[in-house]
Amino acid sequence: MKLENEKFHQGMTVAMLALMLLVLAAADMVKADRLFSETENRILAQKPELRLENIISGSYGEEYENYATDQFVSRDRWVALKTRMDILLQKKLIKGVYLGRDNYLIEQHLPGNYDQGKVNKRLDQLLGLTEQYPGIKVMLVPTSDNILEDKLPPHAVSFDQRGLLDQVKEKIGEEHVIDVFPILEEHREEEIYYRTDHHWTTLGAYYGYRHWTEAMNYPPRNFDPQDLVTVSDSFLGTLHSRLNLPMEADKIQIFPRTASRRIKAVYDFAKETTSYYEPSYLETKNQYGYFLDDNHAFIEIDTAYVAKDRELFLIKDSYANSLIPILAPHYEKIYVLDLRYYNGSLFSLMEKYVTSEKVDVLVVYNCIHFLEEFSYR
Amino acid sequence: MVFSSIPFLFRFLPVFMILYFVAPRRMRNVILFLGSLFFYAWGEPVYVLLMLFSTLSDYLHGRLIGACKSRRVARGLLISSIVINLGLLGFFKYSDFLIGTVNRLLGSSIPLLKLPLPIGISFYTFQTMSYTIDCYRGEAKIQKNILDFGVFVTMFPQLIAGPIVKYRDVQDQLRQRKADIGAISYGCRRFVAGLAKKVLLANNLGLLWTEISGGNLENTTVLGAWLGVLAYAFQIYFDFSGYSDMAIGLGAIMGFHFPENFNYPYMAKSITDFWRRWHISLSGWFREYVYVPLGGNRRGLPRQLLNILIVWMLTGIWHGAGWNFLLWGLWFALWLILEKLVLGRMFKALPSLVGRLYTWLIVLVSWVFFAIENGPGALRYLSVMFGQGTAGLYDSPTLFILLEYRVLLIFAAIAATPLGHRLTESFFAVTGTGVTVVRRVLEKLVPALLLLASIAYIVEASYNPFLYFRF
Repeated sequence: MKLENEKFHQGMTVAMLALMLLVLAAADMVKADRLFSETENRILAQKPELRLENIISGSYGEEYENYATDQFVSRDRWVALKTRMDILLQKKLIKGVYLGRDNYLIEQHLPGNYDQGKVNKRLDQLLGLTEQYPGIKVMLVPTSDNILEDKLPPHAVSFDQRGLLDQVKEKIGEEHVIDVFPILEEHREEEIYYRTDHHWTTLGAYYGYRHWTEAMNYPPRNFDPQDLVTVSDSFLGTLHSRLNLPMEADKIQIFPRTASRRIKAVYDFAKETTSYYEPSYLETKNQYGYFLDDNHAFIEIDTAYVAKDRELFLIKDSYANSLIPILAPHYEKIYVLDLRYYNGSLFSLMEKYVTSEKVDVLVVYNCIHFLEEFSYR
Repeated sequence: MVFSSIPFLFRFLPVFMILYFVAPRRMRNVILFLGSLFFYAWGEPVYVLLMLFSTLSDYLHGRLIGACKSRRVARGLLISSIVINLGLLGFFKYSDFLIGTVNRLLGSSIPLLKLPLPIGISFYTFQTMSYTIDCYRGEAKIQKNILDFGVFVTMFPQLIAGPIVKYRDVQDQLRQRKADIGAISYGCRRFVAGLAKKVLLANNLGLLWTEISGGNLENTTVLGAWLGVLAYAFQIYFDFSGYSDMAIGLGAIMGFHFPENFNYPYMAKSITDFWRRWHISLSGWFREYVYVPLGGNRRGLPRQLLNILIVWMLTGIWHGAGWNFLLWGLWFALWLILEKLVLGRMFKALPSLVGRLYTWLIVLVSWVFFAIENGPGALRYLSVMFGQGTAGLYDSPTLFILLEYRVLLIFAAIAATPLGHRLTESFFAVTGTGVTVVRRVLEKLVPALLLLASIAYIVEASYNPFLYFRF
């Protein structure tokens, strides 16, 4: 019996720890370097160049450490292990994502990140647009942290988007604002946000639509949440990617009517399709790209509806992608502009498309994207 | 290179250890010396020459002191060694501090030198001074072999963050040392324990401190301010003592016995007690080479109090060239003196809990000076701690942070007490086959898990600072 042999067990301990280091070191030597980490969604550090001046300045050592750390063998698994340990330590906020109740992942937006200067800059831009197009409507959709407050961990703080909306109303006039806060709050118990992604669901977009028809005084079309069909039940979104934890996937749903009609959509004046939906994305990690072929600078859609020549010019972020198919019955044509990918002048483009009273102008952003990205030339 | 990094753990350490243990015994010092130079040059490719100069200088001084018959000449040589060592330290560490002070006092504008501080210079100059002083006193054997002396100065385990090893403590081990499997196993476990303290506890609690100290003080609540400085207290303790553990462990693997550097300082019952438990190798150095030579407590109370004041001013300024560090030292001197005069006797009569709370309070306040390098900032932080802030007692963000870190804080609090150590000992003292089996499993499983967890936190290193760049 070796149980009492102290030396044997000391040897075992040393051998085990040494082996762990040696095996990992060896595995790390033979593995191939990666350019990009899918799970972390970032470019990884590459092997630094061995140059005399780098060595003397000491920067080689620093860069080499970044490189060795970023490219360490099975990096993704170590990162996942760390996340799990953070959860064991009862952390509710990991990499900017709250682990909310009922398996909701909710992106954190700290009030301190959106100071008044930043807000004012965006408001001024929006006002400029409103002054040019007095018929414009603006729908700024709250993100889940502001609606699913009861799902947040205790004492979690969020940037107050209601306050932002009040400022928007004051700045550009209440008549321009389509405030979807109340209707989303009313339906907060329903699946209006994805659990694993930062977007609202098609159901959420539907409620946005309902409120929009009221504000526009348009008769709502016959969409019924009962009719929603599931096109994917394996959607693991952007918030899931950040944590890379095993969790139940989300469903992506659509209204079947929006898929049955053969439309004509032209992406960036080049690629042409006949549907709002692009099923190939459902095979990739980015399943939300299913809506309107992910993100394009400009889309021209012929909705194949007859709607008294009415058209829509939409300035939007990705929140609008699931909303557009539902808006379609009210328009014959929809022009979709994503300012993030468009470098030209907004007004000269609008001059081309917003030619009469029959063209509605609508801005759809979530409040956070609006603060972070809304800008035009 | 720092221990808690991928290049050290998975490049340097395996290669070094294989070479070291495969090589014949007489080659081991060569390997240790060259390995240490590589280790140091990785981060300080230029200043490695400075370290070699310091090594050579003190080696020669030692030889000369050993060779000379005249006490007066020996004294001159000792002074020369000390002047060179303190000159190096002063030039690289304190010149900008002095220039800045002169500029402020005289309104002059002498340009700053802006020299980066050579890592570990405060540690190795103190080590080499211990050598020449002990040579002069006849307490150390003169080292004739420059390689062995070079190993003493440059040895990578304790090179950049201590403990400060006195030459005479390791002089025999430089030539002859034996690491049996017991020592190697102890060293491995000690290293892993230190790594875990640094990576799992210190780095994560450091995040809490940066979260609080990085925010606007106007929005910092009383609870937040206390939480922040508590986290900092744990961070610096686990970081520093973790480094010492790793150094002692690596030393043990090679057969060295380095002195202990920490002894549960946050269990101290007084500030006097605290400094017997905190950074023991530094306070020991100052005691032996400054306090006692100044007369210690043998020349009457007023002289003793002055000596305390001098030693703690030096201790403060050793930690960094800044007024805040001087103030930090003086703060401790104040309480040490008060304890000598009245408080010491008072606390003896009171339950030990009172002494512990008092020590915590004094130490936490000291960390504010230590961590916040500009005086007004530190004062404002203190005023928030003591209720003079504008944000109230607590708010939701503070409670959220408290909830986020509660488990970690509990772990840290337990790890700062001897509780875990005592439990393990009393458990292992129980005999019986069942207990032995459990013990055999645990003594392997715990280090393995700690190592894996530490690697995960190093790989996903959003925060892995090196705190001693000012030392």
